[in-house]
Amino acid sequence: MDILNALMDGFSVALTPTNLGLAVFGCFIGTLIGALPGLGPVNGVAILIPVAFAMKLSPGSALILLSCIYYGCMYGGRISSIMLNIPGDEPAIMTTLDGYPMAKKGKAAQALGISAVASFVGATVATLGLTFFAPYLAKAAIYFGPADYFALYVMAFATIGGVAGVNPIKTLLAAVIGLMLASVGLDPATGTARFTFGSYNLYDGFDPIVSIVGLFAISEILMYFERIAGEGGEAVPLDRGLPKLREVFAGFPASLRGSVIGFICGVLPGAGASLGAFVSYNVEKQVSDKDGTFGTGDPRGIAAPEAGNNAASGGALIPMLTLGVPGSGTTAVMLALLISLNIQPGPLLFERQPEIVWGLIASLYIANVVLLVMNVPLVGIFTRLLSLPQWLLMPVVIMVSFIGIYSISHAPFDLFVMIAFGVLGYALRKLDISLVPVVLGLLLGADMENNLRRALSISGGDFGILVHSSIALAIYALTAVMLFLTVIMARRQTGKAAS
Amino acid sequence: MIDRLVGLMILVISVTVFLVARGYEAGFGDPLGPAVFPQMVAALAAILSLGMIFRPDPNPDFRMDRARLKQLATLAVLIGYVLLLEPLGFPVSTTLATALLAALFGARAMRALATGLGTGVGLYLLFNNVLGLPLPLAPAFIG
Repeated sequence: MDILNALMDGFSVALTPTNLGLAVFGCFIGTLIGALPGLGPVNGVAILIPVAFAMKLSPGSALILLSCIYYGCMYGGRISSIMLNIPGDEPAIMTTLDGYPMAKKGKAAQALGISAVASFVGATVATLGLTFFAPYLAKAAIYFGPADYFALYVMAFATIGGVAGVNPIKTLLAAVIGLMLASVGLDPATGTARFTFGSYNLYDGFDPIVSIVGLFAISEILMYFERIAGEGGEAVPLDRGLPKLREVFAGFPASLRGSVIGFICGVLPGAGASLGAFVSYNVEKQVSDKDGTFGTGDPRGIAAPEAGNNAASGGALIPMLTLGVPGSGTTAVMLALLISLNIQPGPLLFERQPEIVWGLIASLYIANVVLLVMNVPLVGIFTRLLSLPQWLLMPVVIMVSFIGIYSISHAPFDLFVMIAFGVLGYALRKLDISLVPVVLGLLLGADMENNLRRALSISGGDFGILVHSSIALAIYALTAVMLFLTVIMARRQTGKAAS
Repeated sequence: MIDRLVGLMILVISVTVFLVARGYEAGFGDPLGPAVFPQMVAALAAILSLGMIFRPDPNPDFRMDRARLKQLATLAVLIGYVLLLEPLGFPVSTTLATALLAALFGARAMRALATGLGTGVGLYLLFNNVLGLPLPLAPAFIG
């Protein structure tokens, strides 16, 4: 009953006019960003973090705004997948497989309706999961010592490769690059200036938000010029405003299956929404594709991956909030936000600042309802926005991110750092090195080092402490199992591709 | 080939980091000190960079073409914008930068200028007046 009481308190936080207004605004902006091709949730949330600062929101309200943007992006990502065959973000790739063919058959409204309901089912299942599992995980996590946290960080870095990486060496290298960048600045324990080249500007290290906006948003703009030649996506006309109710529920059982699978994928550290959508689609295909209709506009082929990616993005909030270890790129960005707001995620967050956690969870329930309303009857607004010209959108987006960063510190130096990270991000993407592990390394590096140093000062310098606790051992064992499964899955996939 | 070069670069950087970190001294009650963790990370980076040197992926598609020129031009505009932001004030520098970017993204001259003006003035009013974040208004030489 504790949980229900806490949730009711959360609703009293979320239902204040300011927070409710922010939730609705966040849902709208999120759907918009998700729908625009190329601008994924990571970019959307990263660019809007400085804006949330600029609005001088309280930490709880800022978190509500950005989480609603996050959920909105996941809903919106499907719109350009279905209408243009261009996924708005990575997790929406699977939705193009059946969504676009269905829209081409003149059933665009039905495809959008099915995917909206599937998104709602997935996100609601995940939010329920968050409500009931997160407090237990937080309770268990209180017993984690420094060595156990160190093990947890090792797990996050070791397993992220299973999903993100084409080449596992490069994915690990990405994480290590992030960790190296994280060590720039004054060492908090001893005051030693590390790798600052004598520049005072670098004493505070790289601000995670400046780095993230650079890595994702600026590099995205550079990538845009290369992609522009290849794509000639014509928007499919919307056949009618509202789909029929019966049609919309055609994929309901598939949504439920997809939600459960997606949620599990989301909770695993380092996995996230893309994996959720991918696994949900493939499982659904094995379960129900008896007549070979998948890939030609099967409703279940739309429902399963949409439910999967939304459930995974909700599930990914669990490790981020309870352990401080994000499960996806976007939750990594949200972690950066929390750190900048001086909120330390982790088990103590649930005890010390319950109004923030439960206000957030309650506002996610509200966001789901708002998003369902926005995405079924009002979807026409968003499809029309797809025809906005890029020459208008892109420059405005760039400028908003520049002012946002400038408004935090009023330091042109930060803007140069952002541009430099943009070039770095572009180079890494060209080399097929995933950016998410870089961000994780940058964000978690300081904590990983602190926990290691704390563990060793407890043991007086004996490295054996790292494997003394049963929790740490269990985490290392789980890491080994996940790595093993990744290798097997990779084998099967290459085997299939070859045959 | 590019993979090998980048791998080599990372190797050189991580060896340098390892050597530089040797100079950082430990404090009391902190057996590890500020040097060990960066060294562990650098060692790991060095090992992984060998993977890129000895097992490189095929080269990514990279030619000097229009897209490349546009990327360079975009970077030039962005750097110029940061340099001019405080000397010229926000509205003027933003109008210029946005108009140039819009042109790079394929807008015709008049439309680019209109986008620039709209963004420069609109964002200034939004941030300065609505959100209450002071931005530099006038060129520095006027006052």
